[in-house]
Amino acid sequence: MSEKKIKNIFVEGAISPQFIAESIAKHSSKTEIGGHGIFLGQVRKDKIDENTVAAIEYTAFEDLALEKMHLIREDIFEKYPLTCMHIYQSLGTVKAGEICLFVFTSSAHRKPAIAACEEVVERLKAELPIWGKEIFEDGSHQWKENK
Amino acid sequence: MEIQLLSFGKIAEIITVKHVNIEGISDTDGLKSHLEAQFPELKNVKYKLAVNKLIVQSNTSLTHHATVAIMPPFSGG
Repeated sequence: MSEKKIKNIFVEGAISPQFIAESIAKHSSKTEIGGHGIFLGQVRKDKIDENTVAAIEYTAFEDLALEKMHLIREDIFEKYPLTCMHIYQSLGTVKAGEICLFVFTSSAHRKPAIAACEEVVERLKAELPIWGKEIFEDGSHQWKENK
Repeated sequence: MEIQLLSFGKIAEIITVKHVNIEGISDTDGLKSHLEAQFPELKNVKYKLAVNKLIVQSNTSLTHHATVAIMPPFSGG
């Protein structure tokens, strides 16, 4: 593992559209960038039998997740010519319709940004010890499973 | 030997204790059998262990005061 500082990716609650807009705006000074890849995960109001998902409550094994994310980040930077990459994952309660994951990659040309963005999303979902509890409108719950 | 337990997701609803005292058990296979006997519901859940924050790929020896995380399939994002 490199000596670079391990970055936090976790934010409490939903990721606001204002935060996303500000993140994009911050890149206007990085004029070598020619393309951004952005993925936004949104809590889906799934219907299961008679129950409707009202929110997802996220928990994580934070230390292990951040270490793993650090390794993924290093892999991705090695594989793609990126200018920068930012990742935010919600913890705690995120209501249906709100944003729970924000992956933002930038490069001089579009293709690496798009490919890196997709790869980060896939690896994050498969490899990071994070769990989503789907809270139904009637107060019952089930544990989310990634497809 | 005392082991600290960290349970996550669905497993936090099954294993509610924060530590176990295991005598005569020295590895993760032994710990799994012990936990599955104490919490039979665990047998119906897929899970992985991490010993001192390292994910266990094969049977791993345990030391006194090791921290073992019990993790069901991940569902972040």
